Amino acid sequence: MEKVLLKNIDNPNSADIGEYRKAGGYRSLAKALQMQPADIVEEVKKSGIRGRGGAGFPTAMKWNFAMADPKFPKYLICNADEGEPGTFKDRPILEKNPHLLIEGMVISGYALGAEYGYIYLRGEYPAAKDILEGAIEQAYKENFLGDDILGKGVRFRLSVHQGAGAYICGEETALIESIEGKKGQPRTKPPFPVNVGAWSMPTIVNNVETLSNIPYIIEIGGEAYSAIGSSDCPGPKLYCVSGFVENPGVYELPMGTSLRDIIYKHAGGIKDNGKLKAVIPGGISTPVLPADAIDCAMDFVAMPKAGSMLGSGAVIVMDESVCMVRVTYRAMKFFEHESCGKCTPCREGTDWLRKILERIEHGKGREGDINLLSDVAGVMSGRTFCPLGDGAAGVVTGMIKHFRSEFEEHIRDKQCKFRN
Amino acid sequence: MIEITIDDRKLSVEKGITILEAARRNGIKIPNLCFDKRLRPYGGCRMCVVEIEGGRKLASACGHPAREGMVIKTNSPRVRRVRQSVLEFLLVHHPLDCPECDKAGECALQDLVFEYGVPETRFTGERKHAQPDVRGPLIELISNRCILCAKCVRICSQYQGRGALGLIGRGFPTVVQPAFGEVLECDYCGQCIDICPTGALISKPYKYKARPWFLEEKENICSFCGVGCTLTLGIREGRILRSKGREGAGINDGNLCGRGRFGFDYIYSENRLRTPLIKEGDEFRDASWEEALTYVARSLSSIRDAHGPNSIGAIGSPRCTVEDNYMLAKFMRAGLGSGNIASSEAFGYAGALRAFSLSFGIGSNPADLASPLGRDVILVLESDPTITHPVFGLNILRAKREGSRLLVADYRETKLTRHSNTWLQLRPGTLVALLNGMMNVIMDRGLFDRDRVSGIRGFSSLEAVVKEYTPAMVSEITGLTGEAVTDAAVTFANAPRRLVIMPLAVSENNKGPGSALAAANLLILLGEEPSSLQVPAEYCNTYGMLEAGIMPRGGGMDVFDMLYKPGHLRALYIMGEDPLVSMPDSRKIKNTLRSLDFLVVQDIVMTEAAELANVVLPASSWGEKEGHFINAGGLRQRIRKVVEATGKSQPDWQILRNLGLAMGINLGAKSFQDITKEADDFIAGGRREAEGAPRPAFHPVAYEPEEPCDSEFTYTLVTRDVLQHSGNMSTRSEALKLVQAEAFLEINEKDAERHAISDESHIKITSRRGAVYLRAKVTDAVPEGVVSTPVHFPSGGINELTHFSGNTCSRLDAVKIERVK
Repeated sequence: MEKVLLKNIDNPNSADIGEYRKAGGYRSLAKALQMQPADIVEEVKKSGIRGRGGAGFPTAMKWNFAMADPKFPKYLICNADEGEPGTFKDRPILEKNPHLLIEGMVISGYALGAEYGYIYLRGEYPAAKDILEGAIEQAYKENFLGDDILGKGVRFRLSVHQGAGAYICGEETALIESIEGKKGQPRTKPPFPVNVGAWSMPTIVNNVETLSNIPYIIEIGGEAYSAIGSSDCPGPKLYCVSGFVENPGVYELPMGTSLRDIIYKHAGGIKDNGKLKAVIPGGISTPVLPADAIDCAMDFVAMPKAGSMLGSGAVIVMDESVCMVRVTYRAMKFFEHESCGKCTPCREGTDWLRKILERIEHGKGREGDINLLSDVAGVMSGRTFCPLGDGAAGVVTGMIKHFRSEFEEHIRDKQCKFRN
Repeated sequence: MIEITIDDRKLSVEKGITILEAARRNGIKIPNLCFDKRLRPYGGCRMCVVEIEGGRKLASACGHPAREGMVIKTNSPRVRRVRQSVLEFLLVHHPLDCPECDKAGECALQDLVFEYGVPETRFTGERKHAQPDVRGPLIELISNRCILCAKCVRICSQYQGRGALGLIGRGFPTVVQPAFGEVLECDYCGQCIDICPTGALISKPYKYKARPWFLEEKENICSFCGVGCTLTLGIREGRILRSKGREGAGINDGNLCGRGRFGFDYIYSENRLRTPLIKEGDEFRDASWEEALTYVARSLSSIRDAHGPNSIGAIGSPRCTVEDNYMLAKFMRAGLGSGNIASSEAFGYAGALRAFSLSFGIGSNPADLASPLGRDVILVLESDPTITHPVFGLNILRAKREGSRLLVADYRETKLTRHSNTWLQLRPGTLVALLNGMMNVIMDRGLFDRDRVSGIRGFSSLEAVVKEYTPAMVSEITGLTGEAVTDAAVTFANAPRRLVIMPLAVSENNKGPGSALAAANLLILLGEEPSSLQVPAEYCNTYGMLEAGIMPRGGGMDVFDMLYKPGHLRALYIMGEDPLVSMPDSRKIKNTLRSLDFLVVQDIVMTEAAELANVVLPASSWGEKEGHFINAGGLRQRIRKVVEATGKSQPDWQILRNLGLAMGINLGAKSFQDITKEADDFIAGGRREAEGAPRPAFHPVAYEPEEPCDSEFTYTLVTRDVLQHSGNMSTRSEALKLVQAEAFLEINEKDAERHAISDESHIKITSRRGAVYLRAKVTDAVPEGVVSTPVHFPSGGINELTHFSGNTCSRLDAVKIERVK
């Protein structure tokens, strides 16, 4: 498959607008501005693209909701708060191919009738901030951004808003609160951001990768795009592989590539000829899969059937040397730290789970602790305000489901056999 | 309307409301810990989860809209299990210190645990153990007990407009705190205490005072401002221990300000009078009622006989009941034959009544506390109703949140200016110029219906006066830009639904009767009705006092003649007022009082004026007597005797009746029922007489500077109210004194620097009439060249500086400032 999102990425000056244009950049924008906004949305609909942030919501459907709302102004926000542990797929776009994102946002803004865009950038990506701001400045200079884009009377203004280091701000309503200058906590839904978003106006929040696909959809047409990868959620997909593999990194592959192929064919297999023990396929919030469950297509439809989720496509690979209790404990420290504190089950539950996991990992686990973990995770699941708590509970449930014996050993032996 | 089913009950509910609201309106209880109808849905506690048929997940009822055909179960086993788990989560860290928690017995968390069963405690390990924050006055934060429902944070920021509390930190370690963990400095309204579902926020004065189940709860109308809130008083062993708001009770529907919540303890002031006092030489001695009344009766009779009834005057009280004031008026008119009856309102609300009468041809114009809601533009004139009438002020903030444009013309920064769309920061006392300027723009641009308005009496003279007030000229007087004046005029004139709000407080010297007339002119010019001019009467019974007949009628002397012109009166009867504190130019008043042959002061405490009296009579206070107050909206509300009278004190009306009998005058009123009925009939009669359609007329007012500054007196002194006090009665409250115990002088940072004055240092402030010493409060809330002070505090003696000169635009005073070395 030809590279779409990581095209030109080996060019050391790929972030420069000149290089981007040499490689054909901003042609899709010129093409799009010849089209009617509704026709652009139609192409996106035909493409079948689903949001790449993790939930896999059909992009065209989200857009249509926002367009059906008569209120103006509308805002387009790019969610670049890439905070899910294991995830670094957006980073190469932000740092190496920023104009692709900008082009995608201008086209989307034009299609949606949004004249103001924000890139909500993860606080821990300072390099990306400078690169993006530099690229935005170039785009303004060359009239790809501004009040009269390419002389077509189209306005789109874009700026970068840097987060302050809260995972929860990857959740779109918390992100909007943060953009408004408030504490990052999710809002009650409904109303959804497509109707009542930033400053109470219709707001479309799309992931970096989603928006970066838009120029290509315009370039080759929705129908051609829909032929790439899985038929029910097509397109190129960025998979970021980390952990115990020979070649960790970001791989652009057709959606639906099997998890086995990603690990063994593309990422070079398990490091030092080790033996695969487990994979977290879509970032820390997605349930773990044991070694024998990796013959599944990595897309939004197949993964739930395989017992996990595609999530952000962040494949975390673990070999036999890894202690699963420790992984669970480490994950829970993360969720406890990142829980915003708004709802009871998540705030109290993550703290409690972490405390239980901590004592098990440190050889102080008690009989009944595994059931207690399951119970606490069980009452969190589906009852928290936003998916953060669900993710935290899911990690525990998944780990106990597949690796219960390791938890039992810890409690029985009063130690972690993986230490030393 | 849509059809939904809740717990097998088919209901028809308004479209767009939440499931919780639909349930509430139909008497179905869904438990919750973070919901309050005044706040936006939060969805944090997860107690209000319900099962929606066909839904995969449970929904939280507080934020989930009810939809056509929904079938909802609020108490299914699944729902109950979730609620139990939420309670288990909350109890992991909530200390079970209920035995020493003030909230126990009325704690939402405790009640829910009781209802759903105590969950098995499976948590082991260290619990949270933060120390309580006891640093601030009145409110204590015990974060151990906090369940992070954020109701306190939200009521403070979303509803009270203050934002003094925040959720500091994230996730599990989050705590409710003032910014940067500083000492809580806020409005001290205490709304956070009432709204807290646990004992995390408690009232310090009430702490450890009583178990709630031993409290007897009685409702009474607040005795401070003209809003007339209903207080739910907690009483034990004959003593009021606390006051709180209760949803559904009274016009305040659960809201209270700090005065209503904390200030009731003035009735327990050490200074309360317990027995009649008669002055002998320079000292008072205790006397029996019989002796005191006989003495007063004899003295008044002999003065009347020698000098005629017009040599005797009386001052009524906006703090006393309708019955008390009616009886004073009756005693004077029917008993003594004197019409010299006045009150402090000559310096406040009387100016509004005059404007209503002259401009609209109406005798009264009760305020409507809901009037701000639904207006396109609200113009607030040199006032901060969030201070003078706090619960009314909440409706202004609410209107702003709901989309009204808020224009505030004020010389200083206030909570309202911070919430405004436009702050017109004019020089103090120049309001009339601004209003004339707005009319100039409106006339100039034809933004009014000339055909309709030009026939109104006085139009041509208004046109002639207003013509001079071009934006440029107004800019010079007010310090605003010409554009600001023009913009305000255009915005106001173009709004379909407009409102002007301007309380006229006795203590405020920056606006006067002229300001009310100018505002009325503006509204009449735009074809508005009297209801668009909201001047809420100041105190709990200002409105009722005036309706009960406390005003000079039939040639009677007004306050000015009685108190500022020695020799006009021989004897004065003061009921429930201290003119030496509340009225301007107190030195003059003191001279007058000293010149009297006979002074009677009837009050609940020893006052500055009482010190000069020949006889002091102890009156029962609010809470110790029955009666009625009429609030700023003209609403007659019953006040009740909830505790026993202090010492030998008696209700004012009863003292007057008995005095009448001692003088051989039968004023009737054998019982409370008699006097109530008689007063009520009198008021109803007055209201019938005042009925009739408004007859608008223009009374143009020219701007006249009041006591301009000169080379010696270089500062303008503005007197004002502070949030924690109301008149000077509240200064007897120990609780409110914890927040503000003495007078202070606000001075701009730059001016302070010029005089080398630092915060808290002592300043001598001198006007043409006198000098007082105050502590400095260096601030940027007042502009350069202006100093500001509250007049509530008897010890401050501010009114030794001030003056009064009739129906003017303002009564500002020029002063000089010196640092005390």
